Amino acid sequence: MEIKAIGCEPLQLKRVGMKDSHTLKVYQETGGYESLKKAMNMTQDDIINEVKASALRGRGGAGFPTGMKWSFVPRQSPKQKYIVCNADESEPGTFKDRYLLELDPHSLIEGMLIAAFALGSQACYIYYRGEYRYLIDIMDKAIEEARAANLVGKNILGSDFSCEVYTHTGAGAYICGEETALLSSLEGYRGHPRMKPPFPAIEGLYASPTVVNNVETLTSVPQIIEMGGEAWKKLGTEKSGGTKLWSVSGHVKKPGVYELPMGYADMEKFIMEDCGGMRRPDKKLKAVIPGGSSVYIMNAEQIIGKNVTLDYEGLVEAGSMVGSGGFIVMDETVDVVESTKNLTEFYKHESCGWCTPCREGTDWLVKIFNRISIGEGRPEDAQLLLDICDNIEGKSFCPLGDAAAWPIQSAVKRFPEDFKKWLLNKTNDNGYTANV
Amino acid sequence: MSTELIKVTINEQEFEVEKGAKLIEVCREKGFGIPSFCYYGDLALQASCRMCLVRIEKMPKLQTSCTITCTDGMIVTTQSEEIEKAQRAMSEFLLANHPLDCPVCDRGGECELQEMVMDWGDLEERFVERKNAQPEKFLSPIVANDPQRCILCKRCTRVCDEWMGEEAIEAGNRGVNTVIGTYGGWLGCSQCGNCIEVCPTGTLLDGVYRHETRPWEMDQTRTTDVYSSDGMQLSIGSRGGEVHRIVARDRYVNGLNGEFLDVKARFAHGFINSKDRIKTPLIRYKKGGKLIPSTWDEAIHFVGSKLKESGNNVGVVASSRLTNESIFTLKRFATEAVNSNNYAVSDAYDLAPFFDNLSAPLCTHKEIRHAKTILLIGGEPEEEQTFTAKQIRQAVRNGGAKFIVVHDTPIRLAAQASQFIHVNKGSLDAFALAFADQSDATITKKLGAAQTEIDDLLKTIGETEGDFIIMFGGDLSAEAQAVLANVAGSFASDTRRALLHPLPLYNNSVGANDMMAGKKPLEEVLRTSKALLIAGSLPEDKTDLLANKDFVVVQELFETATTEYADVVLPAASFAEVDGTFTNNAGFVQRVRKAIEPIHQSKPDWVIASMIARELGADFGYNFSSTMVFKAIADSVPAYEGLRYPLLKDESKPVQAKYSPVAKRDLSNEFAALRRKVEALPETSEKITETPRVGHKLHRVTTMTGKTDQFHLLAAGNPKPENLLVSPLVQFNLDGTPRLVEMAEAASVNVKDRIDDKETVASKVVLK
Repeated sequence: MEIKAIGCEPLQLKRVGMKDSHTLKVYQETGGYESLKKAMNMTQDDIINEVKASALRGRGGAGFPTGMKWSFVPRQSPKQKYIVCNADESEPGTFKDRYLLELDPHSLIEGMLIAAFALGSQACYIYYRGEYRYLIDIMDKAIEEARAANLVGKNILGSDFSCEVYTHTGAGAYICGEETALLSSLEGYRGHPRMKPPFPAIEGLYASPTVVNNVETLTSVPQIIEMGGEAWKKLGTEKSGGTKLWSVSGHVKKPGVYELPMGYADMEKFIMEDCGGMRRPDKKLKAVIPGGSSVYIMNAEQIIGKNVTLDYEGLVEAGSMVGSGGFIVMDETVDVVESTKNLTEFYKHESCGWCTPCREGTDWLVKIFNRISIGEGRPEDAQLLLDICDNIEGKSFCPLGDAAAWPIQSAVKRFPEDFKKWLLNKTNDNGYTANV
Repeated sequence: MSTELIKVTINEQEFEVEKGAKLIEVCREKGFGIPSFCYYGDLALQASCRMCLVRIEKMPKLQTSCTITCTDGMIVTTQSEEIEKAQRAMSEFLLANHPLDCPVCDRGGECELQEMVMDWGDLEERFVERKNAQPEKFLSPIVANDPQRCILCKRCTRVCDEWMGEEAIEAGNRGVNTVIGTYGGWLGCSQCGNCIEVCPTGTLLDGVYRHETRPWEMDQTRTTDVYSSDGMQLSIGSRGGEVHRIVARDRYVNGLNGEFLDVKARFAHGFINSKDRIKTPLIRYKKGGKLIPSTWDEAIHFVGSKLKESGNNVGVVASSRLTNESIFTLKRFATEAVNSNNYAVSDAYDLAPFFDNLSAPLCTHKEIRHAKTILLIGGEPEEEQTFTAKQIRQAVRNGGAKFIVVHDTPIRLAAQASQFIHVNKGSLDAFALAFADQSDATITKKLGAAQTEIDDLLKTIGETEGDFIIMFGGDLSAEAQAVLANVAGSFASDTRRALLHPLPLYNNSVGANDMMAGKKPLEEVLRTSKALLIAGSLPEDKTDLLANKDFVVVQELFETATTEYADVVLPAASFAEVDGTFTNNAGFVQRVRKAIEPIHQSKPDWVIASMIARELGADFGYNFSSTMVFKAIADSVPAYEGLRYPLLKDESKPVQAKYSPVAKRDLSNEFAALRRKVEALPETSEKITETPRVGHKLHRVTTMTGKTDQFHLLAAGNPKPENLLVSPLVQFNLDGTPRLVEMAEAASVNVKDRIDDKETVASKVVLK
């Protein structure tokens, strides 16, 4: 398990690896809470402008410019404003936030406090994924430490700025990573997504202006304030500023969390050198899912020799997306039909059931994959899968429908050989023949 | 809604629409069909069925038209290849796990899913997998549930929450396993059945009607509810002279209540075709003897000769369940056939003090829905005037209305109130006095409420801009009602309308008051008359006054405590067998239409009265046509002047009787009487703190509701059966005690006996 920065100074991972990195003492010794002090001497507009200038884009998956999101909040509104940290990191293949929450909780608190100061909020919530319940004590202790140092609570650092930070866990539903479903869940309701508009920035938690940001997004904020938006942006590219964490898993020698500057070139080098290359040297690279399970799967031809840069634009050009940075590498032993079946089952299981296409579509897809996997596949199933995905995509209530459709669409299109095997010969590479 | 107009282009045609209008409504209004399931006009938006997708220029994806508000210059496409594909796709998804056995489904023929798929779907089915199956079960004695037909539009859960305020059903589980379920597995609600009504598929089913017939085999007759004074419009489904079902579904009827009905209106129609109906005229030739079946000719002749003997000592009593036509004819019978002023209504709650002092207009149910402040004094609308209660709930929930409840009991509706003045037990009269005469602060002692509470109430009323509605019912004394009705008008101002809403108990209480001008109290009539003609039964505590009468004629549907004293019982027709009108608590005169021919030898009450009158030599000139009776009503009752049946034809535009507010009368006598009553109240009275249970009035077993078996179970506390797959009617005696053998048998019925979905596709293949 590697946790390191490549091609840049570690920013997100600055304290990871230090002894007692989760304590306030270590955090402050390494420059912690200096950004908060600096921010509290700036105007609210200045802070938002710095974040805008940094070209920071949401690290949760959608990549929405954070500064713009903040600027949508009506700061003059008499309602309470809320900062909500989306720590419901449930995207398959993604585990970067876990290390930040575990090893550097104060940077998240500081990021939230800066956001709260910039937006005039007095309450911050950290919504933990249900399965991360075991991490919540670390954050609770960090909050208590910060409170004792007058960094959280009433009159922070002697100013008239007061802000509370609360932690809360979900119950293990993937859908609660969707920001509006997260807010429903946080309010105590069923984790169903809500209608947009109104967007959370206008009517979010308790129908008040709310900013929902990913953990990594918020931990970037102190760095931006510290070094200035422009300087931070320069670490990355013009459109995607700063550095980004990638959770690398799969058939590489050195899986782990890697911090790369945005625009890191290139993807092939990253897999073959930085991550140590393929785990079994005799097996060739077959597929990569670069941004968590919900993005298009890439085949080897799209990567090898194509100089794919690791940033928002580069990956879109190469035919996929940054997503949440859940980088899953698969070698040629993987049967993409089986891996896609696995993902589809995940989406069926996690579909909240609110809207028709996602609820019924994912169930149907799983049934087709089940049929294929027992050798009952038919040649026309490939087209049927694509059709169903097309009918889900763009028509569901929330983006989870799209997320369920994209991996299958790309798998069918980019790995036709695997599907042919199952649909025509009804067997797979391992010589397994269905019992028909 | 502002009346500002904006331009919207739909399918290349430009329209001017009101700003803020919903796109789906605009499109439908302009003739562009848009399919939808979850969209339902008066409920919170859901946007989950994804059927109503349209393309809006400058928006990235297809948009659900139900969530879009029209903006100026919006360019919309509702028909294109892309949209049709999406619509086909959604109907395909909905059908994926939906059983395609419409011929055995109760909703087949009027199922919205069927219709949508026929209109917008693909006829070819690509789904060849095994469908998810779940067994059919019961959610209550009255609500049957077939979960696999559910398309999760959640209209039912929203109706339950928003209309009824009960939240008895909710979605459980996740994803494709989502089911509509209940808390604790059993519906302990008021059983209004509105979830059944709004269900677009055969998921929630009418347990009384279930599997009796097919929808298209029934004749639908629009008519008015025979139970509640709200005058809800409904449609009777009948086949071959038998009433099978009552719905308010808007494809059949579009009345003031929309699709809303309550448990009695919807399910308690078993009495119409009950085997206990009186079949022929019955004569008791000798006091203490038996009632012996007879012919109409003989019975009328017998009644005529006996009444002649009594001269003008004949009293006439009409039930306020009868049509205006019948009550009016009975009054004419008294005054013209037997020359008697002894006529009364058998309802204990007399509306005369209310209408004689009407100082403000009657409010309609629509006005309740959009009222700004509602003051409820006594009464229990959620049990008695259910539609009024629903309108109040929505006014509070959706309209932000202030709702003030003054009551000695914390009724369920009080939970929605912005102010609840909890008065001493039985001291509502004191409130009426304190409210009408604000100078006397000593009354609040009797009331058990602080003066500040009344001050707050008056402040709320004073701040109201818009409609202010006062509602009260028979919990108050006649004097208190007179005083309140009299004082209401004084709350009106330039920016505020004061409106009155009575809460009578019966479907035609208001009409009975109109028809029987000059009526006497029931007890007086019963005591002073030697002979009596009673249409409908008397309250049970009054029946012993019939002992020792010379001659008693009763027109009834069933043998009751009243018919035990009858010398002649004449079989009357129920509301489903007659033409006529009811007047509801908003003063709407609404049609009652004949759905089936009178059962057995029964006849409408007014026909019976006219026949006896003719025997006595008085001819009302009706020619046995209810149209003529109504014309006679219109000619003699001032509030009904000029009304004719054709004017009442359209139930979506009900016609209000013209009650003119009376000039303020001098009420010093009433005030004095009321003050005496209040002074007689005990000084320290206790308060009722217990909220009455759901259905304590709605589920009562009466002569009429008792003919529907399910009501006995509801009245017996709605016991939860052992096995929900087997009807509770099988597992319990009607008094709610378990039938042990049947319960044991039911318990042995397993889900597997119904379906075999436990095998996976894989194991199925191996089995081959």
